[in-house]
Amino acid sequence: MNPVLAADITLPHINYGAIAPILILLGMACVGVLAEAFLPRTLRYPVQVLVSLVAQVAGLATIIGLALSNYAKKPTLTAGDALAVDGPGLFLQGAVLVLGIVATLLIAERSVERGGAFVAQAAVTAGSEADAEQARRQPSQTEIFPLSLFALGGMMLFVSANDLLTMFVALEVFSLPLYLMCALARRRRLLSQEAAVKYFLLGAFSSAFFVYGIAMLYGFAGSVKFHDIAVAAISSGKSDLLMFIGLAMLAIGLLFKAAAVPFHVWTPDVYQGAPTPVTALMASCTKVAAFGGILRIFYVAFLDSRWDWRPVIGVIAVLTMVIGAILAVTQTDIKRLLAYSSIANAGYVLTGVLAMQKDGISSSLFYLVTYGFTVLAAFGLVTLVRDQDGEATHLSRWAGLGRKAPVLAGVFTFLMLSFAGIPLTSGFTGKFAVFSAALGGGQTTLVIFGVLSSVLLAFPYLRVVVLMYLQEPAADAPTVAVPGALTSAALAIGAIVTLLLGVWPSVLLDVANSAAQFVG
Amino acid sequence: MTVLLVATLAVPALGALAAALLPDRTGRVVGTVAAALAFLASVALAFGREPGGTGAIRPWHQLDVPWAPALDLRFHLGVDGISWPLVVLTTLLTLLCCGYTVWRVPVPGVDRPGVDPGGPAEEARPDDRGRYLVALLLAIEVGILGVFESLDLVLFFVFFEIVLLPMYAVIAVWGGPRRRAAATKFVLYTLFGSVLLLAGVFVVVAGAGTADLVTLTQRGGAGLGHGTQVVAFALLALAFAVKSPLWPLHTWLPDAHTEAPTVGSVILAGVLLKMGTYGLLRVAVGTVPGGARTLAPLLGVLATAAILIGALVCLRQTELKRLIAYSSVGHMGFVLLGIATLSATGFQAALVGNIAHGLLTGLLFFLAGALKDRAHTGELDRLGGLREVAPGLAGLLAFAAIGSLGLPGLAGFWGELFTVYAAVRHGGPLWMVLAVLAAVGGALAAAYFLRLLRRVTHGPAVNAVVGLRPTALAGAELVAWSPLVLLALAVGLAPSLVLALTAAPVHALVTAVTP
Amino acid sequence: MSIAPYVPIAGLLVLGALFALFSCTIAPLVGPKRFNKAKLEAYECGIEPAPVPAGRFPIRFYLTAMLFIVFDIEIIFLYPWAVSFDMLGTFGFVEMLLFIVTVFIAYAYVWRRGGLDWD
Repeated sequence: MNPVLAADITLPHINYGAIAPILILLGMACVGVLAEAFLPRTLRYPVQVLVSLVAQVAGLATIIGLALSNYAKKPTLTAGDALAVDGPGLFLQGAVLVLGIVATLLIAERSVERGGAFVAQAAVTAGSEADAEQARRQPSQTEIFPLSLFALGGMMLFVSANDLLTMFVALEVFSLPLYLMCALARRRRLLSQEAAVKYFLLGAFSSAFFVYGIAMLYGFAGSVKFHDIAVAAISSGKSDLLMFIGLAMLAIGLLFKAAAVPFHVWTPDVYQGAPTPVTALMASCTKVAAFGGILRIFYVAFLDSRWDWRPVIGVIAVLTMVIGAILAVTQTDIKRLLAYSSIANAGYVLTGVLAMQKDGISSSLFYLVTYGFTVLAAFGLVTLVRDQDGEATHLSRWAGLGRKAPVLAGVFTFLMLSFAGIPLTSGFTGKFAVFSAALGGGQTTLVIFGVLSSVLLAFPYLRVVVLMYLQEPAADAPTVAVPGALTSAALAIGAIVTLLLGVWPSVLLDVANSAAQFVG
Repeated sequence: MTVLLVATLAVPALGALAAALLPDRTGRVVGTVAAALAFLASVALAFGREPGGTGAIRPWHQLDVPWAPALDLRFHLGVDGISWPLVVLTTLLTLLCCGYTVWRVPVPGVDRPGVDPGGPAEEARPDDRGRYLVALLLAIEVGILGVFESLDLVLFFVFFEIVLLPMYAVIAVWGGPRRRAAATKFVLYTLFGSVLLLAGVFVVVAGAGTADLVTLTQRGGAGLGHGTQVVAFALLALAFAVKSPLWPLHTWLPDAHTEAPTVGSVILAGVLLKMGTYGLLRVAVGTVPGGARTLAPLLGVLATAAILIGALVCLRQTELKRLIAYSSVGHMGFVLLGIATLSATGFQAALVGNIAHGLLTGLLFFLAGALKDRAHTGELDRLGGLREVAPGLAGLLAFAAIGSLGLPGLAGFWGELFTVYAAVRHGGPLWMVLAVLAAVGGALAAAYFLRLLRRVTHGPAVNAVVGLRPTALAGAELVAWSPLVLLALAVGLAPSLVLALTAAPVHALVTAVTP
Repeated sequence: MSIAPYVPIAGLLVLGALFALFSCTIAPLVGPKRFNKAKLEAYECGIEPAPVPAGRFPIRFYLTAMLFIVFDIEIIFLYPWAVSFDMLGTFGFVEMLLFIVTVFIAYAYVWRRGGLDWD
C-alpha cells in the first residue's frame, strides 16, 4: 500500500439534512425503478404517479423547511465542500421542484390522448405493424416517471454543486434522462427519435467542452472548487489565458443547456420533436437548472474577473435576444415558435445575470420562475389542440380557435400577452425586474437591445392571437380535447401564477431577494 | 374620498368582467350601470377637494401604497385640476358609448367572400357579442383613467399599455371592411410608442432614482444632466407624439378612426388621444423640463405643421369619418403647440382644447356613425341634402362642425385662441411665425368644415340620403348626444368652468418647470 | 511559467516525427519489390478479412455490452475501496453498501424487464 496516498484520505462530513431534498428525489427515483421492475403492468401507472408526486412534494417541503431554518441566511457547504446549501441554491431547487410538479401533471395526463402522450414500447420499430398496434391499444410506458425524477434530482444537484466535477456529474445526471425522454413520443415517433439523437449528440459535444473547461481551470487554479478558482483568479501567477479558455469552454457547455445563441440550434428541433409534456419540462426546469449553474459559476468563481468576460457574454445575450426574436417571427409551427421564444427569453435572463450584483441574482431567479410557469401552461395548451394525427401544431391549424374554444383561446391569449410582456402579467414584472437590475449594473446597451427585441417578439405572439380570433376556422379544423383533471390543474396553476406574479410580484420577489446571496 | 379614486378603476374593471360573463343583453346593461357608477364616482371626486401639499402636483385626493417594493413600484394614484376634467370626460364618454351599445350593437365584421362586410346582408345575422364590446370599452376606460390618475411613472406606463389591446380588439372585430389593416397599423404604431415610453421611463427612473411623479416634478429635472434630459424628453415626446398624434407620426389615426365602429371612434378620438397630450404635459414636460426647453421649438414647428397639413388634407377628403379623423390631427396640433410654448397660458389652452376636442369630435363621430348606419355610405359624393330629409341630424352635424371649427361661443374656440395668444406672448420671430401659421390653420379648419356642411347637409337630396331611414333621431341617440351638446355649449360660453380648475395646478407646474 | 521543462518533450516530438518520415520514405526506396497475392492483401498476416459484414448484429449484443458496464463500474469502485477499507471505516462501508444497493436496483430492473434473456 502506498503510504502517501493513504495519508491523504480524510472522510468528508456530510450534512444529510441539508442535502435531504436531493436524496429524497434520487431515492424515490430508485423506488420508481423498483416499482417498474416488480409491479404488474396495471398497477404501475398509479404507483408511479404517486411516487413521483410524493417525492417532489416531500422534496419541496424539505426545501421550505431548510429555508425557514436559516440555511438561506447561514449558508453551509457540505460533502467536502462539493455541495453548497445557500439561498440561491434552495430557491433554485424549490423552483425546479415546483415547476417539476406541474410538468409531472402534464406528463401523467392520460385522457387527452388515449393511453398518454408516450410510446408503449420504445424499442418497437417506428412505422411497423407492431408499432401501429401499440399506438392503438397499449397505454404509455411508465419509465418516464423515474426518468423525470432522476432528471429533476440531477437539476437540483446541479444548482447546488460547488465544484466543477460535481457540477459535471450533475449535468450528466439530468441530461441523460432528458435525452431518453425526448425519444418517447407516441405519435410522430421518427421525429421524436431524431430530436433525441440530435439532442444527445450535441449535448455530448457540449459536455465535452465542459470537461475540457474543467481541465483548463484545474490547470489554472490547481483545484476544481469554485472558491479556489475565485482566489486563483486574483492571486494566481499562472497565465490568465488558461482561465479564460477554461471559462469559455465552461460557458459553452452551460449556454448550450440554456439555449443561448449561437449554441441554440438544437432547441427548435428538439422542442418540436419531443413529446409536448417533456418539452414543457425542458423549457421550464432545464432552463432554471442551466441558469442556476451559470449564476453560481459567474457569481462565485468568476466575480472578480467580470470586467474581462462580461462584454463577451453580453454579446451573446444580445445575439440571443435579437436572433431568438427575429427567428420567432418567421415560425409557422407553434412549438417551434415557443422554442424560439424560449431562446429569446434565455437572453433576457442572461441580461439579468450580467447585472453582476445582488438584484441581478434576485431578478434572474424571479424571471426563471415566472417564465417557467407561463411556458408550462402554454405547452399544456398545445397538447389540447388535436386532429387525427395527434397534436395540430401548425399555426394555420389554429385559425379560428377563438370561436371553437373560447376558454382555451382566452387562456392562451393571456399567456401570449405575458410572453409579450404586457403589464399585469408576470411577463412584464419579470422583464421589468431583469431590465432594472441590468440598468443598475450599468448594462444599458443590453437593456436597449432587450426592450427592442421584446417589441419584435410581441409580433409572433400577437399573430397567434389574431389568428385565433380573427380568422375563420378551416373546414377540417382540429378539435380541442377536453383536458383531464391533471392537465386542467397544470393549466390553472400556470395561468393563475402568471396573473398573480403580474399583479402582486412582491410575493416571490421578496423571497428571491432574501435568497440572493451565494455562499463563497 | 380615496375610496372614490379606487372606485373609478375598480368599478369599470368589475363591470367589464361581469359584462363578459353575463348573457348578452344583461351583460350590456350591467356594463352600462358600471360605467354610470364610475361616472358618478368621478364627478364626486370634485367634492371635498383640497390641494394636497405644496408641491408641483397637488392632488385633491391620493392613494399611495407600495406595490412591489423590491422593484420600487408604487401604486400611487391621485387626481388634481389638470387630470380631473379628463377623468370626467373619460367616464362620461364611456358611459355614453356603453349606453349607445345597449341600444344598438354594431355588427362584427366577417371575412367571408361574396359578402359585403358590415353591409345590409350582414346585419341579419344574430349576434351576441355586444357584451364583449361593452366589456372591452370598460377595460379601455380602466386603462385611460389609470393613465390620468397615476402619479407614478411605471404605473403610468402599465396603464398606458392596458389600453392598447382592447382597442385593437374593438377595431379588429367590429371595424369596417379594412379593419384588419387598420388594427394592425394601430398596434404597430402604439407598440412602437410604448417601447419609446418604456425606454424614456427607464432613463428618467434610472437617472433620478425615483419613479414618483410628484417628487420628479417638484425637482424640476434637478439631478438629471442636460444631455440625459434631452434624451429622455425626446423618447417620451416621441412616444406621446405617436399617441396624440403629431405629424408625421399620425398615419395610423385616419385608418383606425375610419375603420373603427362608432363607439370605438368616439373613445379613440374623445379620450385615447388625450393620453398623449396629457402624458406630454404631465410626464415629459413635468419630469424633464430642461429637455423640454431645448426641444420645444422643434415640437412647436411640428405641431404647426400638423395644424396646416391636417387642414389641407381635410380639404381634399371625400369620406366623412376620414375627414373628421384628419381634423383631429389639426386640433391636436393646436393642443401640442400650446404645450410647446411651455407657458401657463399655453398649458391652459391645451387643457381646454383637449376637453373641447373630446366633446365635439366625440359628438361628430357619433353623428357620422349614425349617418353611415342610415345611409350605408360615408362618401361625401353620395351624400347631400341631409337638411331636407333629416333636419334633426343635419342640425346637430352643423352644430358639431361649427363648434369644431372654432366659432366663438362654442368649446372649440377657446383652446385655439389661447394657443395662438400663448405663441404670440412667447415672443421671438419663430413663435410669431408659428402663431400666424396656426391662425391660418384655424381659418382653413373653417373652410373644410363648411365644405363638409355644404356637401352633406345642403343642396338637393341625393339617392343615398333620400332612402335614409329612419329620418328622425332615436331616443337613445338623443340621450347619448345631448350631454355632449350641452357641455360643448357650456364650455364655450363659460370656459372658466375648466380654466378655474386648471389654473392653480398649471401655475404650480409652470413654477416648477421654469428654471 | 517557464518553457524549459517542455524542451525535452518537444525534442521527443521532433525525433518521433523524423523517425516516421524516415521510415516511410526509405522503405519503398531500398526495399525489394516482389508482389504476390498475399502481399496485396490489406493485412499480410492474421485472418483473411471477410468481404462484407454478413448482416446486422442483433441489438442484444449492444444490450449485453451495456449491462456489463454496470458491473464494470461496480468493480472499479470496489477495488480502491477494498484497498483502503481500514481508513474509510464504517462511513466507507455504509457508503459502499448504498452504492451496491443502487447498482442492484438497476440490476433488478434489467432482470425483471427481460434484459438478461437472450430470446
